[in-house]
Amino acid sequence: MSRIVILGAGIAGHVAASHLRRKLPKEHEVVVVSPNSNYQWIPSNIWVGIGRMKPKDILFPLAPLYAKKHIDYKQAKAISFYPEGDAEELKPYVLAEYVAGANKGTTEKVTYDYLINATGPKLNFEATEGLSPGKNKTHSVCTYTHADEAWNALNDLIQQMKQGKKAKILIGTGHAKATCQGAAFEYILNVEQELRRHKVRDMAQITWISNEYHLGDFGMDGMLMSYGSNIMKSSEMVEMIFEDRGISWILGVGVNKIEDGVAQYETLEGDYKTESYDFAMLIPSFSGHGFKAYNKDGKDITNKLFKGFMIVDADYTPKPYEEWSVQDWPETYQNPLYPNIFAPGIAFAPPHSISKPLKSKNGTDITPAPPRTGMPSGITAKLVADNIIEMIKHSNNELHHKGSMGNMGAACIASAGFGMTKGSGVSITTYPIVPDYNKYPDTQGRKLGKTFGTIGLAGHWLKLALHHAFIYKAKMKPFWWLIPE
Amino acid sequence: MTRRISKYKRFLMMNPIIQFFKFIYLSIKIMVVVAGGHGGTREIN
Repeated sequence: MSRIVILGAGIAGHVAASHLRRKLPKEHEVVVVSPNSNYQWIPSNIWVGIGRMKPKDILFPLAPLYAKKHIDYKQAKAISFYPEGDAEELKPYVLAEYVAGANKGTTEKVTYDYLINATGPKLNFEATEGLSPGKNKTHSVCTYTHADEAWNALNDLIQQMKQGKKAKILIGTGHAKATCQGAAFEYILNVEQELRRHKVRDMAQITWISNEYHLGDFGMDGMLMSYGSNIMKSSEMVEMIFEDRGISWILGVGVNKIEDGVAQYETLEGDYKTESYDFAMLIPSFSGHGFKAYNKDGKDITNKLFKGFMIVDADYTPKPYEEWSVQDWPETYQNPLYPNIFAPGIAFAPPHSISKPLKSKNGTDITPAPPRTGMPSGITAKLVADNIIEMIKHSNNELHHKGSMGNMGAACIASAGFGMTKGSGVSITTYPIVPDYNKYPDTQGRKLGKTFGTIGLAGHWLKLALHHAFIYKAKMKPFWWLIPE
Repeated sequence: MTRRISKYKRFLMMNPIIQFFKFIYLSIKIMVVVAGGHGGTREIN
């Protein structure tokens, strides 16, 4: 009998738990440890942030589902890792603290045979002074509660605009090394459409602020894509959309301080500037959770397990941008020191960024961090689950399932406005996610036929269809496994 | 030069009948890209 412990119940954690439970006989234990009581379909948060969906539409409670599916669930947060056990406990374990229920505040040594760290990112608002959801007129759409608060504030502003107030809206990244530009991109287009729907668009000046050097970088170094019968850069496509929507932009900047209605930022030229606003949605930087790790003698081995996020089978050797390659990126998400520990999704430490690293003249890194959200999270979690299943069933340590982001496609269906007849979506697929300049030297590292973009109503329908399909899948309803990650 | 979206293009983008077929086409095309598999990058052929 094996015991597989999964830390986190987001996209990666839940995908891993559901596949493990479906494919492993009942004598093996699948345990999920997560401080969250609900599963949330994060890609739909932007629709909560414009009031077109309620939080209840994008979440469901985990406990009843896990009880029904024979997955052990502990509403607790991981504190520290003991991959060799300790003097009293011979098995490896994670120390977890319960955050709800009768055991709230108590800790437990959760032992495991295999551990999947799918804890995702810490939303590191503290890294930007004054950036906090609901304060200083800044908001976030990173969680459904944040998104709901954002909508309340935006709705207040819309009502004021209906009374004649002119408003400035600022949306983008709130840190020099933030990622998830895609979510901010979706939100700015949805906000713009909602202002038109409420007939106050002419009262608002909408500005995109980002650490990207070019529009459409998305933390992936931009892309060359097929667009209808044309070939265009993602920067041209996004520029076309922003021009069409009357959105202005500030690029290559790191927001470093927020005051009430004022964002301070540094440019690549080394200048310090400010931008005022009445409503802002700024994505914070993501960081690891600050977990500690100890060996069996109680010695601190945190740096053997973590490099901010968890160390996996990537090549972390520091090297210049010109020497980066897809081979640097992990394939199995297995920790090299402890082969029974894996970290899919956002929890693994990337070897470096994907976008070209840039510094301001003052030496500040202003570079988007690499995205690993959504589809890559699901795919990497499933392959980790499949490898663990094979390790258990065949009692060997060979890993046959591999999925490097340098050999993986992704679809980003970015909502550009909500509505069955008035909605719009920007559908972009990319193959591979990490550009392979050796394999595709003439097309900026990507395969053109599989890297394409399109804009239109169908994109909205597709995003809505995916919303329902993935919530169906997450609820593990009949034949859920037929829906790919 | 910045490209803008022409009235004709906008008509194509927002026409429900055209977009219905686009929806079917996109669903299949995206499925092909995404479900088309993934793998490692370090094996030498």
